[in-house]
Amino acid sequence: MRLELGNILIKDVQFGDVTKVENNTLFVNKEELINLICEDENIKSVEVELAKPGESTRITPVKDVIEPRVKVEGPGGIFPGVLSKVDTVGSGKTHVLKGAAVVTTGKVVGFQEGIVDMTGPGAEYTPFSKLNNVVLVCQPKDGLKQHEHEKALRMAGLKSAAYLGEAGKDVTPDEVKEYESLPLLKSVEKYPNLPKVAYVQMLQSQGLLHDTYVYGVDAKQTLSTLINPTEIMDGAIISGNCVSACDKNTTYHHLNNPIIHDLFEKHGKEVNFVGMIITNENVYLADKERSSNWAAKLSEYLGVDGVVISQEGFGNPDTDLIMNCVKIEKKGIKTVIVTDEYAGRDGASQSLADADSLANAVVTGGNANEVIELPPMDKIIGYTQPVNSIAGGFDGSLKEDGSIVVELQAITGATNELGFNKLTAKGY
Amino acid sequence: MVKEIERAGIPVVHMCTVVPISLTVGANRIVPTIAIPHPLGNPSLDAAEEKTLRRKLVEKALVALETEVDTQTVFDK
Repeated sequence: MRLELGNILIKDVQFGDVTKVENNTLFVNKEELINLICEDENIKSVEVELAKPGESTRITPVKDVIEPRVKVEGPGGIFPGVLSKVDTVGSGKTHVLKGAAVVTTGKVVGFQEGIVDMTGPGAEYTPFSKLNNVVLVCQPKDGLKQHEHEKALRMAGLKSAAYLGEAGKDVTPDEVKEYESLPLLKSVEKYPNLPKVAYVQMLQSQGLLHDTYVYGVDAKQTLSTLINPTEIMDGAIISGNCVSACDKNTTYHHLNNPIIHDLFEKHGKEVNFVGMIITNENVYLADKERSSNWAAKLSEYLGVDGVVISQEGFGNPDTDLIMNCVKIEKKGIKTVIVTDEYAGRDGASQSLADADSLANAVVTGGNANEVIELPPMDKIIGYTQPVNSIAGGFDGSLKEDGSIVVELQAITGATNELGFNKLTAKGY
Repeated sequence: MVKEIERAGIPVVHMCTVVPISLTVGANRIVPTIAIPHPLGNPSLDAAEEKTLRRKLVEKALVALETEVDTQTVFDK
């Protein structure tokens, strides 16, 4: 399966009469976008705002971030099973509005939404401060149930990203990158002397607003399975969750999963990247056992020498992580786990809820409990009041002058467990 | 909390869903429960069934409390 990603570099975003990309600027027809979002009867109203790098702007409570993409050649469409039909994606050609994003906010959905500051110290902790953001401030219909509200916001974000992505369909990309995964046996034959490596991605699936969808299927109702990494670049996996902002994988993270990109980068040079397994993080112990058994079984079946395992969220998923690690290690396969830490504000507490001596190669996205002060911003998109109650915030987080004292947990993407951000910790 | 109370000489039963974490932190008597969002109940049951379930869990915990153990023990029978 071979996919060409054509990146159209977006250096600015502006409102305009027609939605289009011209000279690396994304123009957005605001009215058309609003009409599209309001097709959903569960959305009462929406405001569309722009937030650009360096502006004194705070977006909160942020639910999801999505990169606009469009399928140009090959089967299927973006976000299969959700927006497009369930055709298998991941081959042909896809255009990406690189540097642009859709951000969803509005009335808070759960209690774990995040903050994105476009400037100042907070901006350093979120990758989304570097993007030209089209922000949707969505108001749900009165009396809408929480899970319906979540879905309405999720769909608004995805639809808007697909709508903006269409604007790049006939634009010549600034750069084109190719990604190819071969059938397993051919891949093994091609680089017989390189260590065979697979990627095990754990998907947040705890339910109660903590869900991920694969081709439209709720991941908590799935068994661990194989997927081509390029399918993910076409939106086969989307975020439907309100788990802690710092370490949830937004749809943007999935589309740009850096573990996949890095493994492709090293493929044929240092490693033979032969495949990818997705597994879930459910709330029943039997599910945790079954899914990790399955991940280990598939790893063994692939015959790999090593796997990279990434986690999403924290707390009880630490157990899924350790189960995956231990069970795969016991098959004689080396593992590296990618996680983050909740080590207390002073960093002195145990970082993960579970541990095992076989988890001896760990990459961390940093300590989510560290406290940061965010200065007031000139413009607020959304509402700042929820910062007193979102995860990482506390009563009194929001000061009278508009500044905010929170744990990094509250900043979208701060300690991402795909290694998308810059934070880490090193052992000496 | 489990360890500190036991340190004070009072035996403890840890009722929890994620048994591996309980084992990692060093609980001695562990009773597995239903699910993380609802350890001691099950919203998919009706009220009478759920009450039976809850009573069974508590009774199991009481049995565990009375049982002599010399190593970490999971009461999953």
